[in-house]
Formats: sequence, C-alpha cells, structure tokens
Amino acid sequence: MAGTVIGEGLTIEGELTGDDEVVVHGTVRGTLTTTDALSVGSGGVVEADLTASSVTIAGQVTGNVAAQERVDIQAGGRLVGDVKSARFTIADGASFKGSVDMDV
Amino acid sequence: MAAASIIGQGTSVRGNLRGAGSIEIRGRVEGDVQVDGDVAIGEDGAVNGNVNGAQILVAGQVAGDLTGSEAVMLERGARVVGDLIAPRIGIAEGARVRGSVRTEGEPTAPRRAAVVPTRRGGEAFGVAKPKPAMPAPPKPAAPAPAPAKAAAPAPVAAPIAAADPPAGPPAPVVPALGKGVKGKKKAKR
Repeated sequence: MAGTVIGEGLTIEGELTGDDEVVVHGTVRGTLTTTDALSVGSGGVVEADLTASSVTIAGQVTGNVAAQERVDIQAGGRLVGDVKSARFTIADGASFKGSVDMDV
Repeated sequence: MAAASIIGQGTSVRGNLRGAGSIEIRGRVEGDVQVDGDVAIGEDGAVNGNVNGAQILVAGQVAGDLTGSEAVMLERGARVVGDLIAPRIGIAEGARVRGSVRTEGEPTAPRRAAVVPTRRGGEAFGVAKPKPAMPAPPKPAAPAPAPAKAAAPAPVAAPIAAADPPAGPPAPVVPALGKGVKGKKKAKR
C-alpha cells in the first residue's frame, strides 16, 4: 500500500513533498517531490515537476522529471517535458516529447 | 464513489486539496481541504487550513475551521483551534478545542448515520488502517471509550447530544427548605 494516494477526483494545487511512495490517480498541479517511488496511474494528470527515486508514468504528465534510479513511460502514458535519469524506458504505445539527460 | 485518497505520514502538502471522494490525512497539509466525501485526520496528521467534508473525523491537529455537511467528530487526542460547524458534532474526552461550535443544518436521521460509517469502513477509511487512529468500521461512533456518558448511548452518533439527558429526574436546583428554616430566614431579614 502506497504511503500517499491522490485518488481519482482529487485535485492538489501546490507543493507535495515527502518520503512516502506516491501514487497519483487524480490531478496534481505544482511540484511533486518524494524520496521514494512515484507512479502516475492511467487516469492521473500531473502538471508539475516531478522528483523521485523512480517514476512510472501511465497517465499524463506535463513537466520535467528527475529520478535517481529510473523513469518508465508505460503504454498509454504521455510525458511532455525533460527527463533526467540514469535509466529511461518508453514503452510501445507511449508518447513523449522532450529531451533526455542520462548523465553520460 | 470516487476513490479514497491518502496523504501519507511522511508527506506534506502546501496548497489546496479539493475534489471528490474521501481522504485520509496522516501527514501534513498547509492549505484548505475540500472534498464531498469524508475526511479523516489521523493522530499524526496535521492540517493548517479549513476542512470541508461530509463527515470529518479528527484525531490529530487542525488549525482552521471544520465544516461537515453531516458530522464533525473529535476524538481523544485531537487538538483543534477553529470553529466546528455541522449538524452533528461530537467531542470525545481528551480532545482539545478552542473555537466556537455550531450545530446547524438538518441532522441526518440516526438510521442514516448508522449506514454511513458502514460504508466508510467498507471502502474509504478501512482501506489501509494499521493504526488504531480512527474508529473505522463499527458504527458506534463513540470514539475513545470515554467515560460512561459518551459511551452509553451507542446508537446515537453524537455523544454530546446524547449525554445531555441523564437518566432520572434532574437534581433540584434550589434545595427545599423546611417551614421553620424559611420562616427564620425571613424573620432575620
């Protein structure tokens, strides 16, 4: 069970920070920072810069994504923004617009 | 029913939360919370802002007004600085409040109240509740097993209202005086 769940129908406007695992099924506008994993569900809408240990995107994200470990865009996921992470995957069926910095 | 949301213990939000469904706050929120479902603020939860919801259960800290369209329940250990507004309001022993209290609006019928917590226990707050923070499932909203007064009227959700009419006739306000006593007093004057 994730520590923090933004349920479907809930909207957060502002700054969300913490050290819990975060799952977004609702809407977040602002910034979202956690030291644990972050995932955006298929119904999730994020208009925020994301920072986490790992980021999994199955919904829509507009903003820059920085992850210490990895970033994965799953099929159906959509990301508009820059990615900074050592590992980065884009599944077949995902859409992505932005630049990638793998720290090479 | 929209999904339940959880603000985890290690999470803090600076900004407003609003929308559908229920929410459980175990972390910190600096901003207003406005949902059409229930709000539970765990004993480690803290909210600095106004809270609006259907039923609001507080075991943590709130600096702001609590407005429940159905009920506001403060549990043991709750600390609230702000006003409480709801048709049904319960303050358990051990809760601390500074603010005004208004019971206004149509109180939901007792049978209705009996239904609500069942629903909540079934889905929203019952989802992940390792802590005994909230009395989640069972209806008797008597929070902490407060002294007999609050606990006794189990079927009623608002301990306060139920505590008012104690069993038996009320104690006489003025002690009856015997004839002689009364006469003497008057005579002295």
